[in-house]
Amino acid sequence: MITKLLREATPSFTWRHRLDNWRTEIFAGFVGAILVIPQGITYAYLAGLQPEYGLYCAIFVTLFSSLLGTSSMMSGPNTAVAILIGTAVVPLAGRGSPIYIDYVFLLCLMVGIVQLLFWLLRGARVFQYLSPAAISGISAGAGFLIIMASLDSILDLSTFKTTFFYEKLYVILSDAGSLVNPYSFVIGICTIVAGYVGRRYSPRYFIIIAVCAGYICGLLVAFIWPQTETELEYLGRMPLEWLPFAVPTVNIEYLMTSLKLIPYAIAIAFIGLAQSLVIVRELKMETDQHIDLDKEVYAQGVSSILAPFFSSFAGSGSFNRTKVNQSLGATTPLSGIVAGVFVLVLITFLGPILTYMPMAAMAGTLFIVGMDMIKWHDITHYSLVRSELVIYLCTFVGIMFFGLAVGIEIAVFLSISVFLVRISQLDIKVEQSNSEPVLKVKGALFYASVAHLTEQFQSAVGKNLTVDLQYTTHIDQSAVDFFNREAKNMATKENTLTLMINEKQRRFLEKLGANATIKIVMI
Amino acid sequence: MRISQLVLCVMLLLVPFAANHAQQDQPSITQLLNEPFLDDYYSNVVYGYEIVTNTQEHASRYVGNSLNCSNCHLQAGTQKDALPLNVAGMYPKWRAKNGKRNGIGLRIRECFLYSMDGIMPTEDAPEVLAIAAYITYLSQGQVLGAEPEGRGVPTIPDTGYDPNPANGRAVYLAQCASCHGQQGKGLGQMPAVWGGDSYNKGAGMNRIQMAAGFIWANMPLGNAKSLSYQQALDVSAYLNLQYRPADPNDSKFLKLLEHLIN
Repeated sequence: MITKLLREATPSFTWRHRLDNWRTEIFAGFVGAILVIPQGITYAYLAGLQPEYGLYCAIFVTLFSSLLGTSSMMSGPNTAVAILIGTAVVPLAGRGSPIYIDYVFLLCLMVGIVQLLFWLLRGARVFQYLSPAAISGISAGAGFLIIMASLDSILDLSTFKTTFFYEKLYVILSDAGSLVNPYSFVIGICTIVAGYVGRRYSPRYFIIIAVCAGYICGLLVAFIWPQTETELEYLGRMPLEWLPFAVPTVNIEYLMTSLKLIPYAIAIAFIGLAQSLVIVRELKMETDQHIDLDKEVYAQGVSSILAPFFSSFAGSGSFNRTKVNQSLGATTPLSGIVAGVFVLVLITFLGPILTYMPMAAMAGTLFIVGMDMIKWHDITHYSLVRSELVIYLCTFVGIMFFGLAVGIEIAVFLSISVFLVRISQLDIKVEQSNSEPVLKVKGALFYASVAHLTEQFQSAVGKNLTVDLQYTTHIDQSAVDFFNREAKNMATKENTLTLMINEKQRRFLEKLGANATIKIVMI
Repeated sequence: MRISQLVLCVMLLLVPFAANHAQQDQPSITQLLNEPFLDDYYSNVVYGYEIVTNTQEHASRYVGNSLNCSNCHLQAGTQKDALPLNVAGMYPKWRAKNGKRNGIGLRIRECFLYSMDGIMPTEDAPEVLAIAAYITYLSQGQVLGAEPEGRGVPTIPDTGYDPNPANGRAVYLAQCASCHGQQGKGLGQMPAVWGGDSYNKGAGMNRIQMAAGFIWANMPLGNAKSLSYQQALDVSAYLNLQYRPADPNDSKFLKLLEHLIN
């Protein structure tokens, strides 16, 4: 066991034998680096941090999880994780203040520890119980939150606090003239339109097109009006260091206050892993990479733990960048490693140009990303099965009204209950042979599902009954007790209960103390 | 009637006590710096102090030159007659400079735009909130609405002569150049007083009266008030003639180019 864990804990580099087309990998890494820069900046904004932390996250989280992982998944700053970090820490300190950053680092340490616990407990399989509808619902809800957050920046509603989204929309619509900053609005709209037009011609690089259009529009505005008049928010220069080593402050006072962060740490760890593992599972299905799920969990955990030491926050796998990476033909973690390094190089050269990047342009790309996360065909797709649709809509509405954390709880609760209800249902077929009913039972026969059998037994009172158990997957003690009881009852009315079972089930029934009044027929 | 009078008396008695209490309660910056854990307000005060004393490191996002706040707000904004920062009680107020009602936030942001020759942070940027917290901290005990003692810089009385830049150059080379350099680029910790790394033409320091008052009251450092009023005016006029970044309110294209090149 320990040697297995140790083997998982060390980077394997088994992919180095598949490096025959390393040029493709490096190019994919380069494109990934270009794509992650606007994402890192905007997600840092969502998490309430200065932009450089998002870039550090794009560098180091990507680097560590690719070094330790086994797949071509692109990790890094992630929307849902960033929003959750923001909602968790905002009540404790003002956005972006030093104490806020300390809490974020502490939260990321906790997330990493929880994720490593998941790894030690072989938790990767837990995520199979999260229904795909729930994951789509969470992603759509996160998209909605992103759109709402991007409105703040597009319309320049800084220092604007509302509780519910409809309140915000109402205030914006009723007082648009005095609230909305026209310059910022124009830049935002320009970015969004360029993004949607650009997607027509280049679906791969449309984010870059959108950002460039927003930047040029911002430059034009800055050329005509001074900043005192436009009140535009600019990115500013980013003091990036090559090795931003930091030690997160951990002392007893911080720990006492941060007890409140524990539920969020668990939620972030869970959501981060869920997204990564969904991506990895898709990659495993679609490509022929040798992917070790447990190792991916470990890689996520370690990169979350190491993140605060390199001035970054926790991340997770990114759907859109992994898709681009895959479409460019990358199949090994090398592309992720290269992407991390390229971000550093690109930022060093782009830094002065990015100073005048309007935040409205960044928010415009965020708006597009948010719209993409609400997939309308998901609703039609899931509407075929009622329970899936309920999970999807409940999760989405829960996130809209009560925030991401509550929405995730709803999703987990609903998918587990749907799973339980489904597993406790028995497929019972009643056949008549020699005017005696034969019950064919499919499914697992355990304490929750025995009740379904009772109804059938009651309708067959006064007859000899045969139960065919050869398609039953599982029998537990309460089911055996039930058969014993029923057999005794029937014996008083001079009827017999016959069970049709196989050899393995017979030994099992004897072990659990099956009564002699039950007649057993072997198949 | 009597009860209300009594209540009033008690309240009046409590007022100086409360004020006194607030002043005594406030820990000093050195105490705060040694504290392992601070609440939201005091951590912002300390952050604001760090920004004011080392702007280049802690607020570099918004800074376009090589100055720090404490280059003009001497002693981290605690020295009288050197633009002290204990002015929270005076805001919001109307200012002729931009012709609107200024909150403390806008005042801080304009400092970044003009004196630091950078870009304006947003009203709710963490840096602005931290500096506002620090200003609030320094303003404890000041009377609301009243002008604190030694606010801004002293006004130079009328000397009867026009400022003479040529004479100013001689004074500058004799008294100032040893620290600020012959080319005004500054040396080590000493700030640049002109050139691309100094304040721009929209800054308050670019006004001759203002700079002269500052120079007379504080310069040369350690030997303050040794210059005559006329010498201070002359040096100020000399500084005013030198090249420095453009005012962001005019020549926007030039300004943009300046920023993109730097």
